[in-house]
Amino acid sequence: MSVSVSDQLIAVLPRMRRFARGLTGSAVEADDLVQAACERALSRAHQFQEGTRFDSWMFRIVQTIWIDQLRARDTRREEAEDEGMHVGTDEPGRRAEARLALQEVRNALRELPPEQRVALLLVTVDGLSYKEAAEVAEVPVGTIMSRLARARVALQAKLDAGSGLRRRTQDAEAE
Amino acid sequence: MLKPSDDRLIAYLDGELDESERAAIAHWLEHDGELRERAALLGESAAALRAAFDEVLREPLPERLIAAARGAGAAVVELSAARSRRWNRVLGGPRWWVGIAAAASFAAFAIGFGLGGGEVTLPGAPETARVAPGAELVSDTFPDNLAGYYKRYVTVNPGDATSFDKLPQNFHLPNLKPWGLDFQGARFLMVEGQPATALVYTTSNQALGPVIVVVANSGKPDETVRFARSSDINVLRWRHHGHAYALAGTANANYLWNIHNDLAYQFDGI
Repeated sequence: MSVSVSDQLIAVLPRMRRFARGLTGSAVEADDLVQAACERALSRAHQFQEGTRFDSWMFRIVQTIWIDQLRARDTRREEAEDEGMHVGTDEPGRRAEARLALQEVRNALRELPPEQRVALLLVTVDGLSYKEAAEVAEVPVGTIMSRLARARVALQAKLDAGSGLRRRTQDAEAE
Repeated sequence: MLKPSDDRLIAYLDGELDESERAAIAHWLEHDGELRERAALLGESAAALRAAFDEVLREPLPERLIAAARGAGAAVVELSAARSRRWNRVLGGPRWWVGIAAAASFAAFAIGFGLGGGEVTLPGAPETARVAPGAELVSDTFPDNLAGYYKRYVTVNPGDATSFDKLPQNFHLPNLKPWGLDFQGARFLMVEGQPATALVYTTSNQALGPVIVVVANSGKPDETVRFARSSDINVLRWRHHGHAYALAGTANANYLWNIHNDLAYQFDGI
């Protein structure tokens, strides 16, 4: 086991979990996915090219495993409960509403095609450049750009459909 | 230039266009209210998406993932998962630390410390470590205020963990580099009447500040992790397999929880 790979893995775990959560829509499935990615990374540490971005390599592994899992299931996933982000029933109304808005955003993301989800999570959520995201997704930059545009427009449309969403999301961000 | 399409507008918002295209779209935005509104909506939905997943970054890392990242075998992961479930029960309930008299807990933590001796037994090590004579330090950093009782300092060259030769050879220094923490030195204390070691780590991140890890022998039964806060210092304490542990720092609680999970895993193997 490469110690340096382990250290880098731990440092990137929070972002991997966020990426996986966005892909799967489930806290448990996301952690399973990240765990599988860690195991694969350690077993293939020799494949990591020094001088390249470790986080991009890990995102690519997470994405690859997830795509494999999707293909294996060969079914659209059911509405998954978002265990880690459920809405507390005893929360004050305004906060509960704000959390509901964030849940709507996550639901909207889940309705997008997998490749658009990947593009959004890499660029819009994690802040990767188009070039970096293209390397992770192993597609040309132009493909990332078009996927991202379709995803952003679709997401916007879904969010527009939610009444009062904008105000509640702003509340959530303020918190 | 034609009116920008959505993909060009989004690339503009993402800062992905070259200077000439940026200038052209900026010109359009300046003169086209409808396009401005479109750009604002797209920006809002992007911000909402980021907000929807920021929460994940603030969650404590599950111990099983830390174990997986460190290449733990199945048996260790299983053990870690059991511990994780136990802690998750604590974490998953109501805001359990609310109502704890943080100051009292913190005082109890501090009162438990006494004057360190010249030779101590380190956790998991039968050997003794000789303290450098006269190597007392004086500073006004929080670990010292926290204790005010340490009197000895293990001689290590700052930033050079390889010179950790004053401690028993089989004492494995926890590696907190993934958290941006560099080991600086160790102090000997007395905790609950038992010799203990305080490991001091610092970071270049001013927002996080130094972290102190206390490891002591303990004859008391295992105790689940407890959180206390006083005077801007967060403290996590727990007992496991004959050792008492404390983790203290000015960093936020989530950051410390993540370090705690990593430490718990590493100490299991120490």
